[in-house]
Amino acid sequence: MTRDEIPPGTLYMLILRVLARQGELHGFEIAKAIETLSQDILQVEEGSLYPALQRMLIKGWVRAEWGATEENRRARYYRLTAAGRKQLEQEIARFDRVIGAVARVIEMA
Amino acid sequence: MMFARRDQFDAEMEEEMRLHRDLRARQIHDDGRVKADQARNAAQRQFGNTLQLREEIHKAWGWTWIDNLRQDVRYGFRLLRKSPGFTLVVIITLALGIGANTAMFSVVNSVLLRPLPYPNPGQLVSVFEANARQGVKFNGCSYQDVKAFRESGVFDAVAGANRHDLTLTGAGDPTIVATVVVTPEAFPLLNVNPIAGRYLLPGDEIKGAAPVVVVSEGLWRTRFGADPRLVGQPIHLDQQSYTVVGIMPAGFRVPILGPQQEIWIPVAQDPLFSTFIPRRGGHFLGVMGRLKPGASLASVQSQVDAMGKRLQAEFPDQNGGWDVQIAPLQDVIVGNIRTPLLVLLGAVGLVLLLACVNVANLLLARATFRAREVALRQAFGAARGRIIRQFLTESAVLALFGAILGIALAWLSTHALASLLPADGMANRPIAVDGWVLAFGLLISAVAMIGFGLAPAILTSKSGVQSNLREGSAQSGSDRGRLRLRSFLTGAEIALAMVLVIGAGLLLQSLRRMTAIDPGFTAANVTKAMVSLPRYEYKTPQQWATFSDSLLERLQAQPGMKDSALAVPLPLADGFVNLGFTIAGNAPLPPGVQQNADYVSVSPGYFGLMGIPVLRGRLFTADDSTSSPRVAIISEALARRYFKNENPIGRKLIFGFPPESDQAREIVGVVANIRDAELTKEPGPMMYVPFAQAPFWGGEVVVKSTLPPASVVSAIRQSVASIDKNLPVTDVETMPGVLEASTAQPRFRTWLLSAFGLVALLLAMAGVYGVVSYSVASRTKEFGVRASLGATPGVIGKMVLMEGLWLAAAGLGAGLAAALWLARFLKSELYGVAAYDPITFLISVAVLLAVAILACYLPARRAMKVDPMVALRYE
Repeated sequence: MTRDEIPPGTLYMLILRVLARQGELHGFEIAKAIETLSQDILQVEEGSLYPALQRMLIKGWVRAEWGATEENRRARYYRLTAAGRKQLEQEIARFDRVIGAVARVIEMA
Repeated sequence: MMFARRDQFDAEMEEEMRLHRDLRARQIHDDGRVKADQARNAAQRQFGNTLQLREEIHKAWGWTWIDNLRQDVRYGFRLLRKSPGFTLVVIITLALGIGANTAMFSVVNSVLLRPLPYPNPGQLVSVFEANARQGVKFNGCSYQDVKAFRESGVFDAVAGANRHDLTLTGAGDPTIVATVVVTPEAFPLLNVNPIAGRYLLPGDEIKGAAPVVVVSEGLWRTRFGADPRLVGQPIHLDQQSYTVVGIMPAGFRVPILGPQQEIWIPVAQDPLFSTFIPRRGGHFLGVMGRLKPGASLASVQSQVDAMGKRLQAEFPDQNGGWDVQIAPLQDVIVGNIRTPLLVLLGAVGLVLLLACVNVANLLLARATFRAREVALRQAFGAARGRIIRQFLTESAVLALFGAILGIALAWLSTHALASLLPADGMANRPIAVDGWVLAFGLLISAVAMIGFGLAPAILTSKSGVQSNLREGSAQSGSDRGRLRLRSFLTGAEIALAMVLVIGAGLLLQSLRRMTAIDPGFTAANVTKAMVSLPRYEYKTPQQWATFSDSLLERLQAQPGMKDSALAVPLPLADGFVNLGFTIAGNAPLPPGVQQNADYVSVSPGYFGLMGIPVLRGRLFTADDSTSSPRVAIISEALARRYFKNENPIGRKLIFGFPPESDQAREIVGVVANIRDAELTKEPGPMMYVPFAQAPFWGGEVVVKSTLPPASVVSAIRQSVASIDKNLPVTDVETMPGVLEASTAQPRFRTWLLSAFGLVALLLAMAGVYGVVSYSVASRTKEFGVRASLGATPGVIGKMVLMEGLWLAAAGLGAGLAAALWLARFLKSELYGVAAYDPITFLISVAVLLAVAILACYLPARRAMKVDPMVALRYE
């Protein structure tokens, strides 16, 4: 089974989407959730998740808080902010636009 | 702080990522495909390069530059540690440059830039009188004129002051205290409050008021043991009782009257100056005024002009020709120190420039060896900007050390530099390394850093990877570019050194002429000391004469003390007394025209002792006494100016120290000129009177003796004490010492500039040596070929020498041009030598050429010794 890497530029959208659905997650949980949601077809390039999360923190789309996992290890949990929720809507709209355009191009070909 | 927070951030980031990898590893392991350690490796692979991720995160936060800086600083330190010799030379060069500049700036700051330490110092002006017809540019004012200024309402306040030191008795040993005689308005004018009691008030100036005195905090502590009950107590000055009414804080000074001020008394209470009060012609007060708030200097000057004209019209005899002028007080205090200070600051700036050029040269030389390192970095993808930044960071580390050491040097030297201060001192404004000076030091360090660091950085980063990586980089094009730049910099060093050497040369020439000046008297073996009689105990001129007679008698009776005499004032040691005179039998002078000459009262032995020859007539004898006709001796200058084609002997001059101003005295002799006011001032007319006919309350005892000065002084003290043990003997000095002191300031400046010149020479020499020896090293092959083709060592040596000389010649040309342009700023500092003195210029050129040749000597020797076989095999 081959897994596809996520298309560039969509990582933010996927993270935002996962957080919107599941509330509070740490980094590994986000990565797993993206895999699960996409039925293991999409795979996050794992390390790049963290710079992306930091950028989202800087932009104010997510908030982070230290907490403990079930096994009682320290982990940073991320959750969506209002700005993040708005961003998600914009990202989805943009994605739809792009996919639509691509689809039209393919149909025409 | 910032670094600590970032370290914590990185640790948390790492913890977060570790959790991720651990969980992934467990999952891979649980899937059962691999063993635990393999799972961990797989998780790590899947995760990616943690370091790179961290860099990406730092970039997201905008921290990249800090990371780079940290890295560059660390790298810079490591590199500097690796070549301690180079580092030390650079840091010391920079420290000298920065230190010298910071120190000079601290002087300029305290003298020229900081305002006077009084409230609203901008309102303070000096008021003075000038007489264009007599060529007097700056003179004091009479008490009556000061009163007129005050009543005119032009100023907010006006006050006058002068120095007349009194003898303090009854508080420890009798001593002379630095006394300022002042009109009481000075205190509210300067707006400084006493720390105890009150200051002087106009009521203290009224005729018949009780004698009062204000003492300084310093005197209160040293002489009166900081007794809190001193205010209200009497103290004894010149054997007269004065009530202490107040104590002024330690920093308080009346401007322009010197750094040493211990007590202040009203003019009306001073035994000397109180007699001057009614005299309009007595310009004895240094006057300061405070402008009304908002008044401009120009508008006040025009009002003052009108006032001066009014006084001239009202009192044509005394005020005729005298204009009243004002100038900012600070300018007057700074006076003629401004130009030398700015000249020295400029010179020291050149030294720093030289130091920077030298360091740039050294860095360029090292850049040659680092070309491969740079190429390697470039090959690995380092951007040019990044490399320039790295080089600049290294320079900054050097500059920082240079700055720290330099500022420490400046701090240490401020004490020595105090002798640069104007003589009319500002002891209350000591030279200090304050915030401004510190900021200046750091600023010039930063400028220096960019100055010496940028060129090597740009040049080194410019050359391509290819050329820098190539073996034997000495042949690469970029290297030739560096050598060209280094040659240019060395030429600039020589030019700068040339400017400084010529400046120092001119000052040295001037100092040589100054010390060679014949003052007109012989100072060798002459010692002097001042004896001052308390006016209230020794009241009458008769007492003064009796005292001096018996003093000289007792002194001359001691072995080796035969040659002793008395003089008031003593040339160059004391101030001069300039009095007006008229010639009996001549038509009266037109109003406003005055004839003046310096006045000295001497005992008969004075001329012989001082080696002043008599040109006509006779000298004073013991027979010239109170009971004999009044006589005078004039100087050659007076005779030439006022008795052009006549014999002055037998003519009468009318003059005298008040109250004997109108005394006619017969001229009995003419003596040679001496310089009494300043060593560098041409001798003016002088008139002498016998001490017995014009006694004074004390004077300078001069003794010519082959005994050591210490024994002479103890003999003087013994003789004085045997008459009156309450009398202090002060201002002890040898006459050669007095002569030397009169040139102390120019001497100090000259040595300072010479030191700068020497440093400049050394730096320039190092520059030439560096360039030529590098050029020789890179041309080893060429020399080998030449030698194998039959060039003698002499020919090769000459080649190298010529290279150095070309460098020197280019620098000398530029330096000469710059020196010719800059020399005019030195003009006012020079005595007896022109600013374009050809001899000095020639000698300076010769010195620099010699230095250049000396710098070429070692590299030339090396080139001459090149063995053709070795040179060719080496390639």
